[in-house]
Amino acid sequence: MSIARSFRLIWFVTWFNVRMLLVSEFFVLLTFISPLIFATLAFFLFRLGHGTGGQTLLYAALGSGMMGVWSTTLFGCGGAIAWQRWEGTLELLVNAPTRYDFILAGQTFGAVIFGFAGILMTIAWGMLLFGMPLTATFPLLVPLSLLAAVVSLGALGMLIATSFVLYRHANALSNMLEYPIWLVAGLLVPLATLPAWVQPISWVLAPTWGMDAIRGATLQSQPPWFAIGMCFALAVVYYFLARLALVYVLHLARRDATLDLR
Amino acid sequence: MSVAATASTATSLPPVTANPGSLRTAWRVFWRGGLMSYGMLFNWARPSIYIPTLIGGPTFQLLFFAALGSYAAGRSPAYFALGNAVQVSALSGIFGMTMAIANERFFSTLPAILATPANRVALFTGRFLPFIANGLFVSLYAITFGVVFLGVRFEAATLGVAGLALLVTVFSCTAIGALQGAISLRLRDGLFGANLLMLSFLLFSGVNIPVNTLPGWMQVISNLLPFTHGLEAVRQAAAGAGLDRVGGLIVTEGGIGIAYAIGAFALFSYLERSARANATLDVR
Repeated sequence: MSIARSFRLIWFVTWFNVRMLLVSEFFVLLTFISPLIFATLAFFLFRLGHGTGGQTLLYAALGSGMMGVWSTTLFGCGGAIAWQRWEGTLELLVNAPTRYDFILAGQTFGAVIFGFAGILMTIAWGMLLFGMPLTATFPLLVPLSLLAAVVSLGALGMLIATSFVLYRHANALSNMLEYPIWLVAGLLVPLATLPAWVQPISWVLAPTWGMDAIRGATLQSQPPWFAIGMCFALAVVYYFLARLALVYVLHLARRDATLDLR
Repeated sequence: MSVAATASTATSLPPVTANPGSLRTAWRVFWRGGLMSYGMLFNWARPSIYIPTLIGGPTFQLLFFAALGSYAAGRSPAYFALGNAVQVSALSGIFGMTMAIANERFFSTLPAILATPANRVALFTGRFLPFIANGLFVSLYAITFGVVFLGVRFEAATLGVAGLALLVTVFSCTAIGALQGAISLRLRDGLFGANLLMLSFLLFSGVNIPVNTLPGWMQVISNLLPFTHGLEAVRQAAAGAGLDRVGGLIVTEGGIGIAYAIGAFALFSYLERSARANATLDVR
């Protein structure tokens, strides 16, 4: 399969998944409504503290938006393979002449790109309701930061999709893993305020570096090259781990003839 | 062979002598029906889902808001821990009640239930008890976690008052969950409203932001939602306020709960009549 055809396949599945998520009430809530509620909550809390934390409204808006991205990634990717099983399409996709990991990549990138629309919503919300100024210290780096965050979260989504399938109730895991990653990745609370043992955990999480890259390009005085590099490096690691997990899971499913068992 | 055996078994069943209008039958529908609805319709009532969702989720929610609140608002983590510890009972009250009512349609048991002459009030209210008990359990677990790790403290003298306020609050939350469940009988995705309610409590009900610091229009919504008065009563009782001081708040919370419960039953009855008239009882 040529590189051009591979990219075409990933792009097609990505776009197909975005359109599917658009008609899901749950994902619309997760991506567009939930971040607005958390952004409002954060705005009020920061206002209540009279800015003692020294953080701006944009800081809160970006953090709340990224919370929505994580939720969409978690739920959209955690149940990706399980849904294909439920819909009865998993066997067809696995046995198609195209590579299944490309199909899965398209599906997870679809969820992540859909999630990133939530960041735009929280920024617009902050500007309209709270008079938040929209500034960026490195405007040219903003698109690159967003791309780095999308790539790393998409690859993490693949890893989530391939590992959560081993647990029968992937949604229950997703229910549990929303808040801890919001906290440990420093999306609204700086990592420096958390116990020291939390920080090594945050280093291996894509949302940490994705958020650092975006905030670096908009709020910080130094360009976020390191965070952008970490996003791409983690994406490579996640992809290879996801490939290993996928080969293992598909081998088990073929051996035990459980590919379409729910 | 198996058909004949079934017919033979069916003819040997004792005749039904229960009077559907009697109090005893209504009690059975209330008690047994309530327990069965919990076990069969509540999708999360198994350890592999229950533990991550109703124990793990609340634990991390407490930690997240305690950290965010103390950092952003400069208040004690205990304030946010207590608010969220009471609010997590909504996982059972809102999602549980929504599933207990809406899943009847999803599992295609609604027509069979509504074809029986069972007392509707007993049928409907029986579903409250298991979810109130479950909500109390989740909240008590979260409060214990808050006491051990996040500095939540209760005055021993008013512990009973705090317990009463918590019980009434959980009832009130379960009542709005019943309303959401009745609404879900008409919706494609009933859990959308349940999720929206959960998020609304975090913002409007004084769980994380004191209600008196919210804009006026938001306070109007706060006063119509469960948790607002009950949670305030729990907070004051935890600080040592007696029934004479928080009794009004508890009564208001109870009144809100009863209003939602009546509204839920009225809507359920209306939807039943409407579904019978339009033959849409099992349309999904």
